[in-house]
Amino acid sequence: MIWDILFRALVVGVCISILLSLISYFVVVRKMTFAGVGIAHSAFGGIALNFLLGFAGYLLPITFSVLASLLIAFMYKKGKMSEDSAIDVIFVFSMAFGVFVLSLSDGYSTNMLGILFGNILSVTRYDMVLSISVFVVGFLFILYYFSHFQIMSYNEELAYISGIKVDRLYYLFWVVLSVVIVLSIKLIGIILVNAFLVLPTLVGLNLSKGYKGIVAFGVLSSILSIAAGISVAYYMDTPAGATIVLAFVVIWLFSIAYNKIRI
Amino acid sequence: MITVKNLTVKIDNKVILDDISMNIKKGEFVGILGPNGAGKTTLIKTILGLIKPTSGLVYIDNMELDDYMKKKGFYIGYLPQHAIVNWSMPVRVVDAVLIEKVRPFGLFRRYSKEELESVEYWLDMFGVKDKMYSYIRELSGGQQQRVSLARCMIHNPEILILDEPNTAIDVVYNTKMYELLKGLASEKMITIIMVSHDIGAVTKYVDEIMCLNVKLHCHSKTDDVNISTVFKEVYGEDMEIVVHGDGCKNCAINKAEK
Ligand SMILES: Nc1ncnc2c1ncn2[C@@H]1O[C@H](COP(=O)(O)OP(=O)(O)OP(=O)(O)O)[C@@H](O)[C@H]1O
Ligand SMILES: [Mg+2]
Repeated sequence: MIWDILFRALVVGVCISILLSLISYFVVVRKMTFAGVGIAHSAFGGIALNFLLGFAGYLLPITFSVLASLLIAFMYKKGKMSEDSAIDVIFVFSMAFGVFVLSLSDGYSTNMLGILFGNILSVTRYDMVLSISVFVVGFLFILYYFSHFQIMSYNEELAYISGIKVDRLYYLFWVVLSVVIVLSIKLIGIILVNAFLVLPTLVGLNLSKGYKGIVAFGVLSSILSIAAGISVAYYMDTPAGATIVLAFVVIWLFSIAYNKIRI
Repeated sequence: MITVKNLTVKIDNKVILDDISMNIKKGEFVGILGPNGAGKTTLIKTILGLIKPTSGLVYIDNMELDDYMKKKGFYIGYLPQHAIVNWSMPVRVVDAVLIEKVRPFGLFRRYSKEELESVEYWLDMFGVKDKMYSYIRELSGGQQQRVSLARCMIHNPEILILDEPNTAIDVVYNTKMYELLKGLASEKMITIIMVSHDIGAVTKYVDEIMCLNVKLHCHSKTDDVNISTVFKEVYGEDMEIVVHGDGCKNCAINKAEK
């Protein structure tokens, strides 16, 4: 029974972490971490809605967070002076809305903790199957369009001139991100999932100078932190999400040390 | 090659370009002059389809831009104004030069021998061959600019559109660059549009000058232009053309600065 839980957590974790580290490369390279974090947090409102309405499943949370993330992505793109504040408003609204809605439902604090920090026991078989499917689609999508995203990050106008459907890809990118975030909530929780938007690429940047190395080390380090985090959580009986993120930070510290020694 | 008809661009109801018409022939080297905010970059972007005109038409090779791109694939080299390229990307010079060669599953790609040879050739032409495997953020501003020029050329473009290519480039190399561009225009019949504030060079190397300040004030063969009258109209200042020795022909110095 316990092995079942651990196995499911591991599968979900690996699927999510690989996708998030690929996404993280572009989020960091484009200096969009704030938008990324905003999008991650905006999933909160959607999940909370489920509790209020007594729904299960992902339809409502995914719809909500996809819409919120499209709004944030749109504002980011418009690049008006107030983009950061606009993202802030959506993200704060979504959190507040979530708390408000949750407080109306039963089991307020347990649910709240679950959403914010994850609960490994809640990962079901269905979550596992869904994670694998999203992983396959998202993974193929990001890899297929890797050089498209690369040139879009380099200079968007050049991407247009090369005939790339820049806007469509840009929004699809954020849709994939918000779906992955929603799927990661049971395992890692909404607050800590941000770690996976930044840390993989920071580790990669410490260990390699080229994009291939950065992406590869990012993926490896996040798989490692998932595996290490889940094992430690099992032996020490600590929350999986927090333990995974702590493991990741330790890996990141090692990568800094390696970087300093090498120079 | 490039035909612009009654082009007007308004942004937020402000007229940026007013009724511009022009015709640029194949293999012509055209320089666009005008003060800051004159709409030079806007004109270029409209030609490239990056900005939709409020009214008017742009034809390339007698086709609308979309059709031209579809028919020919990639045939326009564009050098944007310096600052908007993300130079902090973790890519090497060779990756940056080939960045417009977009491929599915590009993360795993290996460059072909031909691609590498052509990168080497163009980096050599722009004097940065030794930087081929350096990371772009480790280059100086001028070297980055030269890499961008190589990127423009890698596709054998029919048209080159350069927005202030000289800003970061040193005086000595500037001359070489202009000569190289002039050579490309006349020998390979590449049509070049170049925006520059380097009046001396523009008058020296290009075939035609266009003076832009919201309206197109002049469009004529370099030799026929009476530069000081045009400047008076475009820049709204008296300009005195000072001719030095060999190093700097037709350098313009603003009277007010003296
Ligand atoms: N996105 C925009 N929104 C509002 N106004 C704009 C926008 N882009 C350009 N403008 C305005 O259009 C005018 C022309 O700008 P443009 O960048 O084409 O000038 P330029 O001739 O290239 O100047 P420079 O020599 O400084 O590069 C400027 O007055 C500018 O304020
Ligand atoms: Mg400009």
